[in-house]
Amino acid sequence: MANKLNVDGILLFEQPFARVPYENYRKVFRSTQRNVERDLKAVQSTANELVKESSSSAGVSSEAAIHSIDAMIANVENLKRKLADLHDTAGKPTQDVVRERLQHLATVENIPTANDPEFGRWADTRLDRWLVDWALRNGKEKTARMIAKEKHIETLVDIDLFSDIKRIEGALARHSCTEALAWCSENKTALRKMKSTLEFDLRLQEYIELSRASKRQEAIEYSRKHLVSWQETHMDQIKQAAALLAFRPDTMFGRYKRLYDPSRWTTLTQSFRLAIYSLNTLPTEPLLHLSLYAGLASLKLPACYVHATKNVDCPVCDYGGEAGSGSSLGLGKLAEEVPLSHHANSTIVCYITGKIMDADNMPLAFPDTGYVYSREAMEEMSLKNDGMVTCPRSKTTCQFSALRRVYIS
Amino acid sequence: MDGPLKELAKLEKLTAGASGKGKASIPNSLDALLESLREAKDAIQPGTTVSPDLLLQLSQTVDLQKKEVEERQREIYSSISRLGKALDKKFTASLPSYPDVFTSPTSVTALERTVALHFLRTGQFDTAGIFLQEAGLNIDPELRAQFIDLHRILQALRNQDINPALGWVAKNRAFLRERGSPLEFHLHRSQYIRLLLSTHPPSVMLAISYAKETMAPLFFTEHEDEFKRLTCCIMFLPLSKLQTSPYSDLASPSLHFDLEPLFAKEYCASLGMSRQVPLRVVGDIGGGGALARIEKGRKVMRERKSEWSQADELPIEIPLPPENRYHSIFACPVSKEQSTESNPPMMMGCGHVVTKDSLHKLSKPGGYDPLDRRVKCPYCPAESTHGSALRVYF
Repeated sequence: MANKLNVDGILLFEQPFARVPYENYRKVFRSTQRNVERDLKAVQSTANELVKESSSSAGVSSEAAIHSIDAMIANVENLKRKLADLHDTAGKPTQDVVRERLQHLATVENIPTANDPEFGRWADTRLDRWLVDWALRNGKEKTARMIAKEKHIETLVDIDLFSDIKRIEGALARHSCTEALAWCSENKTALRKMKSTLEFDLRLQEYIELSRASKRQEAIEYSRKHLVSWQETHMDQIKQAAALLAFRPDTMFGRYKRLYDPSRWTTLTQSFRLAIYSLNTLPTEPLLHLSLYAGLASLKLPACYVHATKNVDCPVCDYGGEAGSGSSLGLGKLAEEVPLSHHANSTIVCYITGKIMDADNMPLAFPDTGYVYSREAMEEMSLKNDGMVTCPRSKTTCQFSALRRVYIS
Repeated sequence: MDGPLKELAKLEKLTAGASGKGKASIPNSLDALLESLREAKDAIQPGTTVSPDLLLQLSQTVDLQKKEVEERQREIYSSISRLGKALDKKFTASLPSYPDVFTSPTSVTALERTVALHFLRTGQFDTAGIFLQEAGLNIDPELRAQFIDLHRILQALRNQDINPALGWVAKNRAFLRERGSPLEFHLHRSQYIRLLLSTHPPSVMLAISYAKETMAPLFFTEHEDEFKRLTCCIMFLPLSKLQTSPYSDLASPSLHFDLEPLFAKEYCASLGMSRQVPLRVVGDIGGGGALARIEKGRKVMRERKSEWSQADELPIEIPLPPENRYHSIFACPVSKEQSTESNPPMMMGCGHVVTKDSLHKLSKPGGYDPLDRRVKCPYCPAESTHGSALRVYF
């Protein structure tokens, strides 16, 4: 039962996996849409122009008409080529990625149990995807690219998205809002739906920079052009921005000092990251963190931290690869941050075989020392030793028949 | 994924440029428009004034085709939205956020170390090299060399060469003996069977002398029964006969394939490492429903507005498959509490186990020495003395 796949639990992690290429496709569509609108509008207005002129007294000369029609033909041909290009280089490949990922998820829906070798391969790939996501978020791009290439999972990871993030954040670090604003306009509708105010914050920052440079006239024009349209929701901030022009960058007056504060750039970088993550339904932490958190919490027991009950196979008891070093340097260290697992029922695992003991494989205790082992392990030992059994921990020896049955209810 | 895949298929069809159901596709409409434009151009006589009707007609065609194209675009748009809705339907829950988890410098290093070891352990040495460089991390070169060694030996085993593995075994014989590991015997057994079955012509004599000279001195006393079986199975050659004999297990190819995981397990154990790849184990549990359950548990707690009494313990139990049970857990059937060092499990005379605290509560008053007090087992009719209860170790 426990080995049946929990598909809902698995899919909880996979929304961004499907959503990122979907959002990419929407972007492709929007740029198609822009091209269609612009070019056809131009053609239409040229045609209307011709009609208007032909109804005037002078009429339209054949040269002028041919000239205009040639321009229209060029326009339409250009549009046709652009649309075909967009579809071949962006639209179709993005659709393919969506399809591949959906099919990848469909595979796991159809695997019956976790013991299926197919699931083993699927989970290997999933771990590789998580490692790529983790590496990208931690600025280890080369590692991410290497994993993607070696494991042939380029279409299953979002290296491009993170390169975009890196590029835009790099620009913000250089105190340039241009790239981030371009991204905002590409995703205008989605950002509005999310009620994100990133665009306003970026605009305000550009305004502040103009004010810092004492370009008051330009700042006022900028405000009219870009800030005033936000007056319904951001009136207070717009007013404050207007007043800012009266203060010098070295002002000691609290609220204006805060506006001039360069740390606003760091905040902007954070809000940008938040916006692009939530647009793609990506969590704010690496997926690897979330799965490790839940996995470690499911396994963690007080026994993992007691020397006598450590088990080398248990990931929480892990020593980080340096046997005998005592303190944990790997997963055990991370497990310190998660809660303990909760258990309402007993599970008794045989120290020798590692198997769970139950009615068919009863626990047996050494009569004097109380050390408990599975019947299977004890029987095997007694067969080899003429009915005698020896406790591997306390080294006491007795007859197999002297072992006491233990009842765990 | 049926829903989203179906919507995707519709979208692909719509954007592929093929016209369907009597409607023109966008390229079709543009072609039609081009044709009309060229026709109009051809209809114009040079050196004249162009007739207004022609231009009016042209303008109407432009309007018409533009409308067509826009209509198609709208269809694509709504197809995209439908795909989005299908995804929404499939993914109803969003991922939680644990912003402060694993962010301390020690945790960051611990995770980087874990990842580096993961690359090494799974034989991704190039990736490991790049990662160590990018992370500015150092892994003991000796440990690194050991992993390279491990993968060299596994590679040899895959190529049916047991010698590198035997070389390692010879150096670690004491360790393997203490673990009661069958590795060395299994290696030789595989070699013996290979001599017997896979060589052409079968070199029975070679196999027998291998058994006599190499295997017998090492294993005859320890694996006597198995050793006898290996020699007896010769009577059932060739392979087709062996497969239907009582020795058919010796004909199974898993006898050779199982060497790799067995060797990796023993090798890792000698380094103090787990038999399974730890990142995979933890990731599979976390990503296999544990996170969903934890979140559900937290949500229920929030809705009931009750705080979980022990903040450092999960509010719900996460079911684990048997292979991920690494420790014994004793939950007292009386108090429902987990046993601890100060409240250990105690076995009463009848064999039933409760925790020490519960034992105290169950014992009846009377007698000077508390150890003489009688305890009635809550699970069977037996009664025993408090003092006769035995502390058990799982």
